[in-house]
Amino acid sequence: MMPIIYYVSCSIILFFIGVYCLIAKRNMIRLLMGLEIMMNAANLNFIAFSTQVAEGAVHPLAHVFTILSISIGGCVIALGLVITIYAYRHYGSLDVRELRRLRR
Amino acid sequence: MRPSQLLGILIISTLITPMISLVGRRIRRDRLLVSAFAISILSFALILSVTSLFSLIHEDAMLAAFTDHQFPIRPNLRADSLSIYMVTIFLGICLLVSLFSAEFIDRNRIAAYFSLILGMMTSMVGVLLSEDFFTLFIFWEAMCICSYTFTSFNKERREAVEAGYKYLIMSSAGAVTILFALSFLYGLTGTLNFRYLSESLNQAEDNLAVHLAILMLLVGFGLQAGVVPFHTWLPDALCAAPSEISALFSACMEKTGLFCLLKVFFVIFNSIYEDWRVPIAALSVLTMFVGNLSALIQDDLKRLFAYSTIANTGYVLVGVAIGTSKSLAGSLFHILNHAIVASLLFLCVGAFIRQARTRSLKELSGIRHRMPLTSFYLIIGVLSLATFPTLNIFWSELLIISAGWEAGMSWLSFLMIINLILSAAYSLRVIEGVAVKKTTYISRKASEAPLSMNIPMLALAITIVVIGLYPSPFQGLTETIVNRVFYSI
Repeated sequence: MMPIIYYVSCSIILFFIGVYCLIAKRNMIRLLMGLEIMMNAANLNFIAFSTQVAEGAVHPLAHVFTILSISIGGCVIALGLVITIYAYRHYGSLDVRELRRLRR
Repeated sequence: MRPSQLLGILIISTLITPMISLVGRRIRRDRLLVSAFAISILSFALILSVTSLFSLIHEDAMLAAFTDHQFPIRPNLRADSLSIYMVTIFLGICLLVSLFSAEFIDRNRIAAYFSLILGMMTSMVGVLLSEDFFTLFIFWEAMCICSYTFTSFNKERREAVEAGYKYLIMSSAGAVTILFALSFLYGLTGTLNFRYLSESLNQAEDNLAVHLAILMLLVGFGLQAGVVPFHTWLPDALCAAPSEISALFSACMEKTGLFCLLKVFFVIFNSIYEDWRVPIAALSVLTMFVGNLSALIQDDLKRLFAYSTIANTGYVLVGVAIGTSKSLAGSLFHILNHAIVASLLFLCVGAFIRQARTRSLKELSGIRHRMPLTSFYLIIGVLSLATFPTLNIFWSELLIISAGWEAGMSWLSFLMIINLILSAAYSLRVIEGVAVKKTTYISRKASEAPLSMNIPMLALAITIVVIGLYPSPFQGLTETIVNRVFYSI
């Protein structure tokens, strides 16, 4: 079995890829994808730790939590896409820089 | 009352609300039915929480549900005096906000509006009552989803869509950061229950991963509370949401973030709180200064009050940074006072927007000639914000400042006093605009707000004056709560 540190470092790398995506990207849908990557990093972390917590067994709490957090993440992303559709109707573009046009 | 009963009533009524509106549509009475249902549920929940607050204060009991010592992983709910205190504040303000808005929401949206208000209140009560990060996170995300929807509630306006998107991205990033921190805490201890977490972290030696997790929790919860490097969503969201919802955001949702910070630092990680005192003090100073200095230059009333909300978060954090039982009592008292004042101010602005169709301070100048009652309430609220003695905020700020002096952190008290002067400056500007200046073309056309708007504002204004004149019972209540809940200080 692979040691846990590989999984944890993988999830940390994924998390920072998501953070980079939020900072650097300009497309509204890509930002939501960045959020999704961050969520998946945290979920992966939970699943990886669930094998370590109880000796010789898989801890069920992490699995329950992961399923619930995936569904909540789905809700958030769906809401984000709804708002993106409205923004597209208003501005005719998916660029977040366009959104700041009216900012004082 | 058991916490599961309170939460169950709220959850079921949230789910029933759309069906009631369907029934109401058939008999063409949906506004009456839905608002009466929501208001009666909220008042019932308020009565429940007030009675249990009294019983909790008098006997040192703890209301627990689903507590099972055999199963440390089992999610549970717990109502101690701190969470019931916050629940009572939130339910009271939510009740007044629903009364304020019941008559004037667009008829096609009334079902959505009240389901979302009840949903938001349910999830906030869930966050307050949970004794487990598992439960807390799920209610937290439910609260966030309701508030994103509220921010872009007026979806035909560009401002609302823009602010909603910005808020969604920032706040979900914060929530994911919390989730990541929880995964590390889970990996270290194998549980997410507050009590077990605290016990196993007390035994563990100083670990880098614990500090990393605390940093992430601070970012995630601080983002919702409007702590400064992460505050940029707040003025936009509070401007874009309908005014009564801004009142709810500023009075309740931010306070939920502060409550979680209190819980993290004084209940779960109290053994390593000392290491985090200086960063919190720095954050609080930054928050106060940025909030007050930005509020000085605003013309938009809602934006001005949004920045003053940020500054008041800073005052609460000063109490957290000082960390004695007196300063924490001051913080809790300030949470109560600012929740009342902020909701009063945003409701007044809501009345102005409805009657005069503007929220610009320049265009509203001299509005007291046309809307004397609303302006009077606004002036009471703003004077309280300016730390006028005999109004409520004065006493809580006095408590925090004197606690800083006694604890040997007088520099923090001194910086807070400078900030109070700044806040007095913008408050006086608002009063000058509303009451002293001559009327404009726009403010001359306005008329007084209707009765159903006046009653909630009157109730809040009376509460401000009553707490200002008799602060000792409320102050004593917060001191009791601090001694009960944060026993380890």
